[in-house]
Amino acid sequence: MAIKRLHRRTFLRGIGGVAVGLPILEIMLNDHGDALAFGGAVPRRFMVGFHGQAMGGDGDPERDRYRPDTLGPNYDLKQATMPLAGYGNVKDSISIISNLRIPYNNSGPGSWNTEFHLGAMPPLLCGVSNPDDSSACRGITADQAVANAVGTATPISSLQYQVQPSWYLTDSAPYGRDTISYKLDGGGSVVPVLGQASPHQAYVSLFTGFMPTDPGDAEGAIRELAKRKSVLDLVHTNIDRLMPRLGAVDKIRMQRHLDEIRDLETRLAAIPPDAGGQCQMFPDFGDDPAIGGNNNSNGGDGFDVNAGYSDEDTRARRFSDLIHMAFTCDLTRSVALLYTMAQSHMNVHSFTSIPYDQHEVGHSVGTTDGVSQVLAWQLDQFAYLVAKLRDTPEGAGNVLDNTAMVLLYEGGHGLDPATGDENRTHSTENMIVTVAGRAGGMVAGEHIDGNGMHPVHVLNTAMRAVGVDEDLGEVVGTIPGLLA
Amino acid sequence: MKPSRPTALWIALALAPACYRGTGGDGGGAGEGGASEGGEVPAPDDGGVGQMGMRRLSVDEYDNTVRDLLGDDTRPAAGVLPEDAVDPFDNEFAGQIASRPLIEGLEVLAVDISSRLLADVPRRDGVVGCMPMTDTDADCMAEFVARVGRRALRRPLDDEEATRLVDLGLQYAEDDSDFYAGVDVVLRALLQDPEFVYRIEIGSPTDEAGVFALNDFEVATRLAYFLWGTTPDDGLLDSAQSGGLSTSSDVRSRAQQMLEDPRALDRIDRFHAMWLGYYRLPHAADLTTAMRTETRLLIEKTVMQDQADWRSIFSATGTFVNDMLATHYGLPAPGGAGFTWVDYGDSGRKGLLSHGAFLSVAGKFGDTSPTQRGKLIRKRLFCQAIPPPPPDVNVDEPPPDAPGSNCKKDRYEVHRSVGACYDCHELMDPVGFGLENYDQAGRYRATDNGAPECTIDGEGVVDGSAFNGPAGLADLLMEKSLLDTCVVSQIYSFAMGHDVAADDERFVDELTGAFADGGFRFDELVLDLVGDEAFLYRREEEG
Repeated sequence: MAIKRLHRRTFLRGIGGVAVGLPILEIMLNDHGDALAFGGAVPRRFMVGFHGQAMGGDGDPERDRYRPDTLGPNYDLKQATMPLAGYGNVKDSISIISNLRIPYNNSGPGSWNTEFHLGAMPPLLCGVSNPDDSSACRGITADQAVANAVGTATPISSLQYQVQPSWYLTDSAPYGRDTISYKLDGGGSVVPVLGQASPHQAYVSLFTGFMPTDPGDAEGAIRELAKRKSVLDLVHTNIDRLMPRLGAVDKIRMQRHLDEIRDLETRLAAIPPDAGGQCQMFPDFGDDPAIGGNNNSNGGDGFDVNAGYSDEDTRARRFSDLIHMAFTCDLTRSVALLYTMAQSHMNVHSFTSIPYDQHEVGHSVGTTDGVSQVLAWQLDQFAYLVAKLRDTPEGAGNVLDNTAMVLLYEGGHGLDPATGDENRTHSTENMIVTVAGRAGGMVAGEHIDGNGMHPVHVLNTAMRAVGVDEDLGEVVGTIPGLLA
Repeated sequence: MKPSRPTALWIALALAPACYRGTGGDGGGAGEGGASEGGEVPAPDDGGVGQMGMRRLSVDEYDNTVRDLLGDDTRPAAGVLPEDAVDPFDNEFAGQIASRPLIEGLEVLAVDISSRLLADVPRRDGVVGCMPMTDTDADCMAEFVARVGRRALRRPLDDEEATRLVDLGLQYAEDDSDFYAGVDVVLRALLQDPEFVYRIEIGSPTDEAGVFALNDFEVATRLAYFLWGTTPDDGLLDSAQSGGLSTSSDVRSRAQQMLEDPRALDRIDRFHAMWLGYYRLPHAADLTTAMRTETRLLIEKTVMQDQADWRSIFSATGTFVNDMLATHYGLPAPGGAGFTWVDYGDSGRKGLLSHGAFLSVAGKFGDTSPTQRGKLIRKRLFCQAIPPPPPDVNVDEPPPDAPGSNCKKDRYEVHRSVGACYDCHELMDPVGFGLENYDQAGRYRATDNGAPECTIDGEGVVDGSAFNGPAGLADLLMEKSLLDTCVVSQIYSFAMGHDVAADDERFVDELTGAFADGGFRFDELVLDLVGDEAFLYRREEEG
C-alpha cells in the first residue's frame, strides 16, 4: 500500500512548480497595499501579552515609574519604559493607556472581590466578574474571541506561548496563575488553554510543513509529514474505539485529548506556506535553556541566585522570533503570550541584581525602583517583538501596521481591598495597559488617559481594530481616542 | 537474536479467559466496563473502593516508562511535557487537562525517542526482538508489534489493533525499502496511543452499581506505577496473562517480590521526598546530592534492610554522611568518599527532622521561617489543615520590628500578639522555633543570622508539650499517633492520585490499624495497601 495521497499543493511542489505562497507578497496586494489584489483584506493580527507584575512597591507612595507625565504623542519615558527609546524609537509604535481600574469588592462589571493574586486575574483576562476570587476565567479570553472570528483562515487558529516555564515552588501549585487563555470546549464549558513553554517545541510545531528548498530534503519532509499524519490517524482511530467504553468523566477528559489531536491534524493538513518574501523559516534554536530549580526561599540574604530562573530572557526572545514569523507568514492571527505568571516566583537576579523572586520585589523589597527594573526587563522584550514586526515590510507598510498588540499587567498600585492599606501592589487601582500596532486605525505612539475605565476596554478596542466587533465578558465598549 | 515466529501464540494468550477477573475480556484488556448496569461479580463486602479516573503519566513516570520499555535513559520528558502540578505529589489525575503543549510534546517525544532507538543498533535489535529476513518481513513485524505493543499498552493487543499496526509498519517498510522505517512508525503510534499516555482502568461491572472489578492487566499496571513508578515488565504482564494477579493474596505476594527491585526503593524515596517537600533543594548540586543521599540511605536501612519500625526514621540516633556533609553539619568526618553511619551523640540531632534535606524546605527570604516550618510540620507530618490567613493580613510582610529588640523570636512574638494572627500563628510558630538552632541548610547555629546578640534557645511547643530541637520533636512525635495516621493517608494519596475521600475511609482506617498492629513497618503498609481487596476495584467517578 502506498502512503496516503499527497495534498494538491504538496503535489505541485513535488513536480517542481513554484507554488504560490500564503505570505503576503507585494504582488498580491492592490495599488494601495491595503487589500489583496483579488479582493480579500490584508490579514490583521492580534496579540495579548501578560506580565505577572504590578506597578509599584508595597508602601512606596510613588505609584509607578511608567506612566508618562504628558498625554498625547511624544510622551516622556520613565525608568520602566526606557527600553522604548531603543529599537529605532519603537515608542512611536506604542501607546500607553494609564489610569485604568478593575472594580473590586464585587462592585461592578468585570470585578473581583478581595483576594488579589487569584481573584483579579480572571476579570482582567476575560471581563467576567469573579465574586469568589477563584482563579479561573468564567468566559473566553480575547485571543480566543479573535480566534473564533478569524481562526479558520490560517493553519493555526491561535497560539499560546509561555515564557516562564515553571512555577518554581515545591510546596504549592499555580492553580491557574500560569494560564491566560480560556476557550469554550465542545460541550460549552470554559476550559483553560495551556501555553507552550518550550521554544524548541514551538519551533517544530510552527514550521511544520515548511518545505526545504533542496529537492531531496523536500522529499524527506513530505514523507515525514505523511508519516505524522498516518500515526495521528491511527491514534485517532484508537481513541474513537476506546471512547464508548469510558465512564462519563473520563469521556470528557478523553474528548479534550481528542480535540487537541484533531487540532494537530488540522494543522498538518493545512496548506503550509512556502518560504518567500519576508516569510522565512529560520534555523532551529536548538535545545531550550535548562529549567531552573526550586525557588522556595523567595529571596533574601542566602538566596541562591541560580535557582528559579530558566533564562526567561532567551526564552522570551525565541518566542518573539516565532510570533514574528507566525504573523509574517500568516500562520495564525491570534497569539496569547505569557511572559511571567501571576504572582511570579521567577528569580529576577540575573537582570536586576536584586536577590529576590519577582513577587517579592514588590513586597519584601517594596520599592517602585525595584519593580520598575522588572517592568523594564519585560518591556524590552515586548519592544523587541514590536520592532521586528515594524521592520517587516508588508504591502505599502509593515506587518505592525496590520497588527494590534495588548500588553496586560497583573496589577496597578493603590488600595488593597483585603487590608484597606494604600500604596499596595495587591491593587487594581492605577493600572496601565500598553498597546502596539496600527491595525484598523489603532492609535500608536500616544499616552491616553483611561479615565478609570477597565483594562478590558483596551482589549475590546484592540479586538475591534482587527475587525472583531465584540465585547469581552461584562465589560462593554472601548477606550475613546484609541481607535481613530 | 531470536528468530521470527508466527503470531498465533500471543493472540491465543490474549484471548484466554483466565486472564480476566469477573466476566472475562475481549483481549483488549480494558475489560467490559463503561456501562453502569450491574454485573455478576460481587463488589467487596467491606466497601472502601475509591473513585478512579484515567491517569496521565506524570513527567517522571513517562521518563521511567521509556527507560524500561525501550532502554532510553535520557529522561526526555522534562521541559517537553507540561510541568506537573505538585501538591504535594505530582500525580493527581483530576488536575491533568489535555492541552496543545501535551499533544505536541507527546509527538515530539515519540519522534525523538524512536529515532534515538533506531540509531542505536544493539538497543534497537533488543527492542525489536527479531531479525527481519526481508524489508517487509511480516512475521518479524508482527512479533515486534505483539511484544512491544503489549508492554507499551500494558496489555495484549487485540487482533484488530495489532493488524492495523503491522499493516502500517509494513506499508512504511515497503515504501522506504527499510524494515526499520516500519518500526519507527509503529513506535511513534504506540508512544502516542491513548492507552500508553494514560493508565485507563475500565474493568467489569460488579453487583454494586458504579463499582468495577479491574482485570489482571489493570491490576499489574496499578501495582507497577505505585511500587516502581513505571510500566509493568514482561514478568508482571506474564503473571497478569496467566491469571496470576486475580486474588489479593496473589497481588500481595507479587508485590513482595517487587519491593526487592531497586526501583521500589526509588519510589519509596520519592514518596518521602515529595510528601515532605525536599524533592528539590535550593542548594548547589553537590550539597543537594549529599543531603538526598543521606535521607535515602536512612530510609533504605529502616524500610528495606532492617524492616524496622518506620517511625525510627524520625528517631534515628545517627545518620549516613560523607566527609563533605559531616563537615557541613559540624559532625566528625568519617573519612573516605562514601557515606558512613555516624552517631549523633549529644549533638541534639535525631532522625530525619535533623537532616539537611528536611531543614532546607520551609525557608523564606534566605533564612529559616519558624512559621513556614511549623506549617510544614502541621500540614505534612501531622496532616492537619492550617486555616488560610484572614483576608486583611498581608502574608508577604516579614514580621515587624519588636520594641527594643531585633531578635527573631521577639519580632515573631509581636506579630503573634496581634489578635487576628494569634490563633493560627500559635499553631505554627512555636513548633518552628523548636528547630531554630538549625539554619536553612541544616547547620547548627547558636544565634540569629547576622545578630550575635540574639541567642537561640531552641525551645518549641506543640499542643502544650515543650520540646527542644529535632531530637525533642522526634520524641514527641513518637508519643503521639499523628505521624503514623498521617503517613497512611499520604501513601494512599500517592498510590491513588487523589486525596482520601469518604469512599476511601474504610480502606485507609484499616490500613492505619494494621500499620500500628504490625509494628509500623512501612513495607508491610505498602503490602497491606495493595493486598486489600479494594485495591482490585475502582469506583466510577461522579460527573
